[in-house]
Amino acid sequence: MATTKMGFIIRSLPYKTEASRLALTHAIASQSVEIYLADGDLVEAELFFIGDGVLNCLKKQEAMKHYGNTSIAMHLENALLLDLKVLICKEDVEKFGLAEDMLVMDAESLGGETKAAIVPFSEIQKAMEAVNHLQMC
Amino acid sequence: MGKLTIGCFSSLVGSLSLDFAVKLSEAAVKKGHKVDLWLSGNAVMLSKKGQKAFRDYSYVQKTVDELIKAGNLQVTACEACAEARGYHKEDTMEGCKRFSMDWYLASCFDADRVLLIGGD
Amino acid sequence: MKLGVLMSEYRAGTDTLNRLSAEKLGVIFVGNGAYHATVKENGKASPVLEKAATFYVLAEDLESRGYDASAVDGRVKVVTYSDLVDLVFNDYEKIIWI
Repeated sequence: MATTKMGFIIRSLPYKTEASRLALTHAIASQSVEIYLADGDLVEAELFFIGDGVLNCLKKQEAMKHYGNTSIAMHLENALLLDLKVLICKEDVEKFGLAEDMLVMDAESLGGETKAAIVPFSEIQKAMEAVNHLQMC
Repeated sequence: MGKLTIGCFSSLVGSLSLDFAVKLSEAAVKKGHKVDLWLSGNAVMLSKKGQKAFRDYSYVQKTVDELIKAGNLQVTACEACAEARGYHKEDTMEGCKRFSMDWYLASCFDADRVLLIGGD
Repeated sequence: MKLGVLMSEYRAGTDTLNRLSAEKLGVIFVGNGAYHATVKENGKASPVLEKAATFYVLAEDLESRGYDASAVDGRVKVVTYSDLVDLVFNDYEKIIWI
């Protein structure tokens, strides 16, 4: 029985490229990976938002209303609902003048319990060191 | 020898990033390593049949085909990303597969090295 | 960790690169990142080269852009795709693409 940990580092802005959307959907896919693995083997995905990537976490994204696309915020809520670890860089949140109540921090509206955490980059660096593989998006 | 899993979201033609993924795969296979190349987003088009070679545009289909036939490269495209682009199962190059995103994570599970090339 | 960074951009990504630290850090310039190894703007080499890291540039991408090894900054080693495979498997445990 083994667990492989994947750290998805999201630094891209949303919507102009698919990078952040695909990072989230791939991370969420960790929930069904067992069908390919031996019993007890797992892949755990963690999400780290840094740089411009923190803007993926804004609430009230209306991509569905205007473009018929699931918003990145909706994907992030799903990730939290599925108990994925989500870290958001504190220095970048502050750089953009954002406050915690402007960001998707939980999936309570969907019945989820896991919360995202706004942490210093040094914590994200540690988390990067702790995973087996990194995925920069 | 080891296993390298490469994930790529980049477009087939335009940025040369997908070309990089193919050339790195080729170099790794030549050294005796196994490579899984996962295509998602715009990169799925790499596994579509019927690409034509023009000198102005990237053409990696022949290289991919040869590497697959030689045995140490597995190319898999994201089924949802492909269908969203109007590319169906019958359009897939021989030797390439289509699965959902969890396949990529399963490939990463036992890879010695993983490289994700993001979307552009 | 031993981290290999494939730097594919010239005008972007340096903010991310600047923040990364590792016990062993390698920066391999690929794609447009090759310009970091060669271009001097206003007589100055790329500030990326000041970072504490081992630098490499992919020969195929260097030459595609009209440069040869003689144009490469002394701090950067020219490598081929074959060398890159060895770096990936032997020198760095984790590899990222910027």
